[in-house]
Amino acid sequence: MKDKKLGSIISHNVLIAVLCFIWLIPIVWLVCMSFSARPNMNTSTFFPQEWSTQYYKQLFQPDTVNQFPAWFMNTFKIAIATCIISTCFTLMVAYATSFGKFKARKPLMNVAVMLNLFPGVLTMIAVYFTLRTFGLTNSHIGLTLVYSASSGLGYLICKGFFDTVPRALCEAARLDGCNEARIFAQIVIPTSRPIIVYTIISSFLTPWMDFVFAKMILNAGISSQYTVAVGLYRMLDKSLINSYFTIFCCGGILVSIPIAVLFFIMQKFYVEGITAGAVKG
Amino acid sequence: MTKVGSAVGGFFRAIGNFFGEFFTAIAKGDWAVKLSLIIWGAGYAKRRQYVKAILMTLLEVGVILFSVYFASQYVPKFGTLGTVQFAQEFNIETMQMENNDYDHSFLILLFSLFSFVVWAVAAVVWIRNVVHAYQLQLDAEAGRHINTFKEDCMEYLGDKFHITLLTPPIIGIVIFTVIPILLLIFVAFTNYDQQHMPPNSLFTWVGFENFKSLFSNGGMTVTFGYAFVRVLGWTLVWAFFATFTTYFGGILMSLLLNSKKTRAPRLWRTLLVITIAVPQFVSLLLVRNFFSNGGIVNTICANIGLTGWLRSIGLISTSYIPFLTAPGWAHVMIILINIWIGVPYQMLIATGILMNLPTDQLESARVDGANKVQTFRYITMPYMLQVTAPTLVTDFVKNINNFNVIFLLTDGVYTTTNQLMANSQAKEVDLLVTWLFNLTQNYYNYKMAAVIGIVVFLVCAIFTLVAFNFLIKGDKEGVYQ
Repeated sequence: MKDKKLGSIISHNVLIAVLCFIWLIPIVWLVCMSFSARPNMNTSTFFPQEWSTQYYKQLFQPDTVNQFPAWFMNTFKIAIATCIISTCFTLMVAYATSFGKFKARKPLMNVAVMLNLFPGVLTMIAVYFTLRTFGLTNSHIGLTLVYSASSGLGYLICKGFFDTVPRALCEAARLDGCNEARIFAQIVIPTSRPIIVYTIISSFLTPWMDFVFAKMILNAGISSQYTVAVGLYRMLDKSLINSYFTIFCCGGILVSIPIAVLFFIMQKFYVEGITAGAVKG
Repeated sequence: MTKVGSAVGGFFRAIGNFFGEFFTAIAKGDWAVKLSLIIWGAGYAKRRQYVKAILMTLLEVGVILFSVYFASQYVPKFGTLGTVQFAQEFNIETMQMENNDYDHSFLILLFSLFSFVVWAVAAVVWIRNVVHAYQLQLDAEAGRHINTFKEDCMEYLGDKFHITLLTPPIIGIVIFTVIPILLLIFVAFTNYDQQHMPPNSLFTWVGFENFKSLFSNGGMTVTFGYAFVRVLGWTLVWAFFATFTTYFGGILMSLLLNSKKTRAPRLWRTLLVITIAVPQFVSLLLVRNFFSNGGIVNTICANIGLTGWLRSIGLISTSYIPFLTAPGWAHVMIILINIWIGVPYQMLIATGILMNLPTDQLESARVDGANKVQTFRYITMPYMLQVTAPTLVTDFVKNINNFNVIFLLTDGVYTTTNQLMANSQAKEVDLLVTWLFNLTQNYYNYKMAAVIGIVVFLVCAIFTLVAFNFLIKGDKEGVYQ
């Protein structure tokens, strides 16, 4: 009897291990490839035949195609700006829709639902025209605006959290003569640290993760203006892939590490936010 | 979750109220209220709110100046979208070629639209302004306190704080979402494409022409109807499989990891989450090369004889397995790769929800002698469905618009051999959104892209409405109690 139980535990864990193994194959391949001693893709064996770190060094020596340090700084600047604007907008909308008691609240939220049904790519084309009219294409300001200007629409998770903040606290403050602005700044914000961390990290990650909008806005082909995503994507052009594949892997890894760290911090809050909102219906 | 359906009634009631207040104000207001229809600050000036009166009047002047100097250049041409074609003329005085005073159709469209939005906002301000003036009159008549300017400002940090909070985000949304959507809807009714590109040539209104060509087969050269049916079909098939495979995969994975038998669940979970923590443009581009025609997987398959075997049974006719380059193969691979990046994500969500699963139910089921499959079928699954039904709907919509997976896996790799698809610049693996993207980026066919965009919206909106009104209502009263 005991043997049978042990056997089932072992098979259970082996199954999980196999699944994790399958899931990690491409990632392991990415790591191995980045240490390859050849610039092109190794197609004959899974592991590189010769190992070296030379392409990590080359990643930091800019040439006509590879401008990784510049891309990294560009993305970083855009991410900081996006993060500040988006976080403010999201928190503002979430607070107003969660705590506000004005007539237009419900209609506004319904309009937001409708607007969210339009695919981002679709509006993107029209946004591109508009930006071009004002000369904001191929500029980081334009890209930042694209990432952050509509961020108010993504308020739902944050609102779900604000809905759980005890109202008694705010009522008490109101009786003490606090106005709404002080309640927002001194009571709600400090008690909502988890969701604020989530909002900050997720908006900071947007420019790092996004590819489409960056490609569309930064289309003049000036390599030093690119974000990491556009730059790395270009390395895999048919004409460039044979000399830049390993560098792509190195860049991919270096950019993934900070993102992964932030992502791990964020996912805890994400699950809390999603489930809190979902359970309440 | 907000119900879309119940919105409509409330929306119209709100509009009714809005105008009701306005007409009451005009009917019952004194001369100052009536004058503020023409001079916005009049009502405030009468109640000695001079700063506010000046500001409102200045705003009014601003709107008038905007209309006279800016809107008047574009709005009158809105009906034709311009009539003067771009041309270069030789100027005898300067001895140089000079551009004529041509019309730019796109700018006419964009700035007309912008003017309409400005006027709409101005109209709302105008109406609210009259209502406020009347409110002040009532306050004054009742002997209530009339706010000073400073008190008015303080209100925007107090009772009207929501206005302060909402204004900047809403301006952002209007400029970067609402105006673009409206612009696109207008473009769908024009012939804006590569042959009609401003500034060199004009484009104009064509009514429902573009919709007709999307829904019909115009012969051998224009095959939008042919491509549209196929692309829409694959979009729906993809959205269905992508949503449900990752959803159930995520639940199973999380049950597996959270089982009492699992050793070191945190370690396994971390390993799985690594795959989604890597940005998609890295992981998907990598996988695309992993499975490319001359890639490592093909080498391995050839070495172990799989390629030869597949050729012998006639599944492939090439010397490699066309994982991402042949229809059928590519479709299946895309869904499988999506499982790879989608399941850990759903696993995280499912784990969070399963932690809240009421344990007493599970206990009593165990006491009653239910086995694992029964517990899953009758307790876990209904609970999950009830909690996640709204997210399931939004996930489906997100997958209809899942640009990244399809684009990063197939752009530049997959080329269609079907001439009818190629004629309308579509591929078998395209979703509506990637097709739309290609039409604009590479072929400048904005009119058709706009029509497709509207179709995507309609598909999503209808699906959401139906799902929220039927499925979820049914579920709420449903099985799990």
